[in-house]
This record gives sequence, structure tokens and C-alpha cells, in this order.
Amino acid sequence: MMNKKELMNNKYFIAALFLLPAVIFSLVYLIIPIPLSTYYSFFKWDGIGAMEFLGLENWSKLLSDPIFWSSMANNFKLVLISLVVQIPIALFLAVLLTRKIKGANFFKTIFFVPMLLSSIAVAFLWRYMYDPTFGLINGFLNLVGLEQLTRSWLGDSNIAFYSASAPIQWRFIPLYMIIFMAAISNIPKQLYEAAEIDGANNWQSFFYVTLPMLRSTVVNASVLIIVGSLKYFAMIFALTGGGPNHASELMATYLYTKSFTEMNMGYGSTISVALFLVALIVSVVFLNFSKKDVRN
Amino acid sequence: MKKFSILSLALLMVISLFSVTVMAQDEVNLTLWDIRTASDQVTPALENAIERFEADNPNVNIEHVPTQNDNYKTKLRTAMSADNAPDLFMTWGSASLERYVDADKVYSLESHMTEDWESNFMPAAMDLGRVDGEMYGVPVTNVSPALVWYRTDLFEEYGLEVPETYEDLKNVVKTFTDNGITPFALANKNKWTGSMYFMYLADRIGGPEALQQAISREGSFNDEAFIEAGRRIQELVEMGAFPDGVNGLDEDAGQSRTLLYTDRAAMYLMGSWAYSSFKNEAPDMLDQFSFFNFPEVESGKGDPSNLVGTPGDNYYSVSTKAGNKEVAVEFLKYLTDAKMGEELINIGNIPPFTGISEKIDDPIMEKIYNSSQEANHIQLWYDQTLPLEIAQVHLNTTQALFGMEMTPEEAANQMEEAAQEYYGE
Repeated sequence: MMNKKELMNNKYFIAALFLLPAVIFSLVYLIIPIPLSTYYSFFKWDGIGAMEFLGLENWSKLLSDPIFWSSMANNFKLVLISLVVQIPIALFLAVLLTRKIKGANFFKTIFFVPMLLSSIAVAFLWRYMYDPTFGLINGFLNLVGLEQLTRSWLGDSNIAFYSASAPIQWRFIPLYMIIFMAAISNIPKQLYEAAEIDGANNWQSFFYVTLPMLRSTVVNASVLIIVGSLKYFAMIFALTGGGPNHASELMATYLYTKSFTEMNMGYGSTISVALFLVALIVSVVFLNFSKKDVRN
Repeated sequence: MKKFSILSLALLMVISLFSVTVMAQDEVNLTLWDIRTASDQVTPALENAIERFEADNPNVNIEHVPTQNDNYKTKLRTAMSADNAPDLFMTWGSASLERYVDADKVYSLESHMTEDWESNFMPAAMDLGRVDGEMYGVPVTNVSPALVWYRTDLFEEYGLEVPETYEDLKNVVKTFTDNGITPFALANKNKWTGSMYFMYLADRIGGPEALQQAISREGSFNDEAFIEAGRRIQELVEMGAFPDGVNGLDEDAGQSRTLLYTDRAAMYLMGSWAYSSFKNEAPDMLDQFSFFNFPEVESGKGDPSNLVGTPGDNYYSVSTKAGNKEVAVEFLKYLTDAKMGEELINIGNIPPFTGISEKIDDPIMEKIYNSSQEANHIQLWYDQTLPLEIAQVHLNTTQALFGMEMTPEEAANQMEEAAQEYYGE
């Protein structure tokens, strides 16, 4: 048997000791809930009363639930919008701010502000901007004579989802901007110097030096965006609550409404497990795909 | 030596911990959850009650945790299901309370119901705090019927009379839309706001029996009265009776009343608590507001004196988990005493206590009080009357009706389907 002193000198034991709090945290809050939710998904349960075993009924209901499918479609739309909007803009800002332009530090701070605000505060800000009668956006459109473009941004089910997606883009661009800026500053200067000697102009050095060197960062950012958009909740919930008539529903807002507003914990768990599976499959596929791509 | 000092320090800490517990033995800490946020008009009255109670009972400390309305419902449900109920909490009585009583989360107040205390409440208000004949929650705020609030000056300006019938109402709506004014201020992201129109129309068309029979399953939720109510809502929507993007506006953010205060809307179907909001938000416009009962529908069965609303709004209960139930119940008595009643009346709230009619001198409040006394029937909000599963379908389908995303028949059929599933038919 190891004595106490030996134990304390064993670096694996020390490491395990320090890891323990993190392991307990992830077990309780991240790992255990997955099998637990799967278990709940086989029951009809309101969270308070007795649980009634349903077998696969929740799952068959899920597969034929049009709201679930439309909310999943919205999630994929959000993935697409976020990839197309956030990465190019963040990249553009990052390149701009890593050049020696006047007041770069000032703009760095300004551009980062949306990231510092809480989602709910941002949602409230945009809620008032979107107000059809008093809001900034319609007010501006009226002012410049574009009355025909004024909309009830959050009340019209054709556009509510897109309106609610806009502040998400606004808020998350700075995050990727910072990530790209860090990556750009790690690109060796010699590469740019070499490109310059070869007579490359700014565009060429961006496309042939910066972009290839950022490849893995872009892939990582894309994974973050994909997973983040698949399980996104906060701003949509605060702006539209998934409405009107589920038009802007995401899987996460739908599972919240089912579980906590309608107190159908069983069905809510079913949606949450489905959300988990979708996010898992998509990110595994994407990572594999991009890995192969890098090797080629 | 160093080791010793550390040891003695640790010992000291342990000892001091003990002594704190010993000292704290007589102290009672109670947590109270409700919706009395800073913007709620009742909050000062409630805080005064807490202060008075703490002054009379120096060993008691009440921690008041307010949460904004729609979030509160979720927070309470979640805490209840996680068995983390606060000592004292608030519900809306009836189904919202019954759910927790059935799950043994609520302490019965029956043994504390002295004759004195019992006679303090209006009987109709008490009924909603009872489950299986036992008292579980005491009503504290507002006899609150939903009423059609209107801007008297705008009605005068366009030479309009208070509408008596639905046809009159349509004329009023038409006059306002012709003049670029939104007839009704409504923010329907919250769904319960639009539900008021549906409940009134269903009552005026089918009478209170329509709902009663649908619940008792002698009738159904796709009976003609409910379909017709949906049709009338959509008729009003098509006439432009509601603001643009009505389903995207947030009642909790005051996006409906703002229209009313800025002359952009003329009417507002809302619980009588709207009067407290007017008092608070637009005190200099107060004399420009009055109300009328929802108009009658020709050939409909409902009596126009019927109201939709609640005879008592917020019910306070003690949870079975409360550490010191005696003290908690004692606090409820402060929350329902004469002083509280006076303070509530001052802010434009009609407390569900007996003997308050002579204390009311505000003419609008007197009018609210009288119309609730004269009502032939007071229909409790559908989302409190119906079991949660059906209530949510009602709220969702009604919102879809306002958005013209569902036909009245589809909405009614969805309700009936949900009812059949719930009642296991």
C-alpha cells in the first residue's frame, strides 16, 4: 500500500485531485442529464406528479410533429445565415483592425461591445427598435421615404424569424472577430514579406497568405457557429418566444415551451434528446469532412 | 508552532459557526415569491406589509423575491417540480393552485381560518382559493374583470357613443380606422391578451354554458359558439381593429398602452388593473379614460352584464416545505388586513375584502366595483379554468386566429382534439 507521502508525490494522483471538481461538475450538469433525459423521453410526466410509461409514443409523436420539423428547419436556416454573415464580416473586421490603421484600438473596443451585453438586454434593445409604430427602424424608413419597406418586423410570421436572427448576428460577430484577430497576429511576418517581394498586392496577400493560414481557425469557428446555432435559444426566446404561431421556433425554444410552459417534461425531454442527436451528427460529419479536406 | 496556530484558527471558525447557529435559532427566515416587481403598482403596499410584519416580529426576516409575470409562472412551476418551493408563494387560484395542491406542495390554511379572518374576504374570491373545500390560498389583490377601456376624448372627437352591440362596435372600429386611429391597443405576443376577445365573444354568443358544457363534455370545444367567436375575431382583424404586427408586440413591455397614450389607439380590452397602470404611467391623462362592458352580440345567448375575469387576482399560499408555517400564516394575515386594503384602494386596486365599497371614492373604481357586483356571471380566465394542456392550446390557437394563420374551424378542432386527449376519450 502506498503511504501518504508517496501518494502526495504521485503526480497522477495530484492531477486527478485537481480534476475532481471539474469532473463532478461535468458529470452532474453535462453527462448525467443525457441518459436521464433519454429515460424521461419514454414517459408522460408533468414534472410534479406520477410518471406514466409511454414507450416510444413520444418519439413517434415527434417524428410526425410538423412544428418540430419546422423548428429544426429554422435551426438549419440559422446555421446557414450565421455562417454566411458572421464569418466574412468577422474576417473583414479582423483584417481591417490588425492593419496599422488609425484608432484601431478604439474600434476594437467599440466592435466588441455587443459581445459584452447580455442576450436579454440586446433582445430588449432590438424589441424597441422593431416596434412597428415607435421603433427606430420603421421610423427611419418613414423618414427617408421608404414607407413601403416598413414592416411589423416581429409580428409578421413571414419575416419574424429573419428579424429575430439579425441581432444574433450582430452580437456574435465580435466573438469571431477576436478569434480571427488572434490568429492573424500569429501568422509569421516573413510570409507577407515574401509575398511582397514576389509582387503580391493586398488582395493577393490576403487570398494567398492570410486565408490559407487561417484555415483551421475558420473551421473551428464554423464548428462553434454550427453547434451554437443548432442549440441557440436566448435571443429568439426573448424577442418572439418562437412565435407568432411557431414561425420563429427553434428546437431549443420549442423544447422549453413544451417542458416548462406546457409542463410536458416527457415530450420536452424527447425534443432535447433529438436536438442533442442532431447537433452531434452534424458536428461529427462536419469535423470529419473538414479533416479529410485538410489532408488532401 | 505554525501548525498549531492554523489548527486553533480552524477551531475558532468552527466554534463561531456553532455560536451563530445557536443565536439564530429563534430567527425565522421566510422566502416569498410573487410578481411584485418594481414596476408593479401593488409592490409598495406589499413591501409595507412586510415592513409592518417585521417590525411587530423582530425575529422574522422575509426575503421578497419578485419575478416578472410570464417568467414567474415558469419559475414557480420549475421550482415546484424540483421540490424547491419557497416558503410563501403566489398563484392565480383555481387550476393554477390546484395543480400544486394535488402534488402536496401547498399547506392547508383550513385550520387557521378563524371566523374573523374568513369573513374578511368576498365569498366569490375565496372560492378560487379553495380546493376540495379546503382553503389553500388567500386572495390579496384586485377584483379584476376585463373591461373595454376607451379614450373618452377620442370618442367625443369623432362623435361616437359607447357601443351597446357588436354591430355598434363595428361602426366604432370603422370610424377609427377611417381616421387613421387603431381601434384596439393590443399586444399579443403574450397570448393571454388576445384570449380576452375570444372569451368575451364566446360568452356573448354561446353564454357561459358553452364553456361549462365543453368542460363537462356534454358539449364540445368545436361547438358553433367557439367557431363563431373565432370568425368575429378574424372579422375584426380584417377591418384593421388591431395594431400592425399585433402578435409581435409585448404587453409586458407596455407596447399596447403606449399606443393608447399617444392617441394612436382608442380602446383597450384589459383587466381592471389597467386603471392602476394608467394612474402610474399617464396620471395627467387619467380623466380621459373610462370603460364599458363588452357589447352584446345580437341573437347571442350571453348576458351583456357577464364579465370575464377573476373575483380575486393573486392568491398567496404557504408551501408544505415552509420552515415555520405558523409565522408564514401570520404574515398572510398582515397581507390581507384593513391597512393593506386601504393601500390597495389608494393605488386603484379593488381588494377582494369585504366592507370596502364605502372606502372607495374614485368614480372609476366605484364603477368597476359595481359592474362586478351586478354581473350575472363572472367567467374565470380560460387559462386558469382549463387544465394546462388545453389552456395552452387555447392560447396558441387564439394567437393564430389573430395572425390569420388558422381558420376558426381549425382552431376549434384543435381545441377539441386536445380536450379529447386530456379527458381520455
